[in-house]
Amino acid sequence: MLKKSQWKLNLGFSFFILFLILLLIQVSLQLTLVFAVSLAIGFTLQKSRFCFTSAFRDPLLVGVTNLTQAVILLLVISVPGFAIAAAIADMANYPLSLYVSPFGVHTVIGGILFGIGMVLAGGCSSGVLMRIGEGFAMQMIAFVGLLIGAFLGKYSLPFWQTSFGEVPGIFLPDKIGWLPAVAVQLFILLVLWKVTRWWQKKQNGVG
Amino acid sequence: MKDGLKTIYKGPWSYWVGAVILAILNILVLVIRQVPWGITTNIEAWSAWLAKVLGLIQNEDITFEQLMLSSGTYLNLGVILGAFWATLAASQARFRPVKDKKFVLSAIAGGLLMGYGARIAKGCNIGLVLNGIASSSLSGWIFTVAVFIGVWLGSKILLRFLL
Repeated sequence: MLKKSQWKLNLGFSFFILFLILLLIQVSLQLTLVFAVSLAIGFTLQKSRFCFTSAFRDPLLVGVTNLTQAVILLLVISVPGFAIAAAIADMANYPLSLYVSPFGVHTVIGGILFGIGMVLAGGCSSGVLMRIGEGFAMQMIAFVGLLIGAFLGKYSLPFWQTSFGEVPGIFLPDKIGWLPAVAVQLFILLVLWKVTRWWQKKQNGVG
Repeated sequence: MKDGLKTIYKGPWSYWVGAVILAILNILVLVIRQVPWGITTNIEAWSAWLAKVLGLIQNEDITFEQLMLSSGTYLNLGVILGAFWATLAASQARFRPVKDKKFVLSAIAGGLLMGYGARIAKGCNIGLVLNGIASSSLSGWIFTVAVFIGVWLGSKILLRFLL
């Protein structure tokens, strides 16, 4: 860790960001706000050492589930949070769409490949972006792989869709109603949270 | 009080503080952008543009201007710059070289698998695990289980060849 203060560089960078924001505000207020929030996201990811890869991997590799529990907490807030945002937007006639995507064999294959990939690259997509910001050469290299992989994925998706078919997206509130959908998901998350606590205890021995 | 203030810019923050703040920011992105936060759709768009510039493909009509007006570009750029800012605020900004040559290979292979996987599944940990589930979509849950299986396989590879 460097002992030297980087306050001058920090000041310069702050002005650079301010300049970018002033530039962007000429183009679009929406883009400016999105940019400001994502800066805060990057800042938070780095400061809290948040990492989805660790959340999935550490329970298996070292039996530690602290980050897994944090991701579960993130989901516990997000599920009702999105539901409330969607409900308010609906009442206010504000256009807002949630992400309900069709799925098929490619969702499962894609998830497995993505899971292997993020362990090898030492970070998922958000983790790679965060670690580029932290100055890690390894994730800068991974980003090149990410670009090439995304390009190949784009052009092979039709192959997967035509070979194995695809089911239209299932939006749980459509099937069982908003309240039960949120309740069922919160219940699953609660069970997962219990499991992670039990797992950590089991792996590290009681007492 | 002074120590508390110092923790804000020095870090680290606890995981649960991170989770609560990220949840709020993620909902803010949804409200401002009118669609949830995602990462790899934009990376795919940039890859297609790059391929077009390099002359690998001709049939894409994606332009640089479109990319610069896409909110996804600012989301990804913001995360990188925000993380850089966070290290700078703590006077920890520096280049961190790869420790071992084998990690160059694993980084490129991992990146490739991730990019491919995310684009055939139409989402990553953010777009599909976090925001698929937050959107109460079944595909979010299916993808999450698949990622867990992939991580289990990946951990076996990691233990055998890399650590």
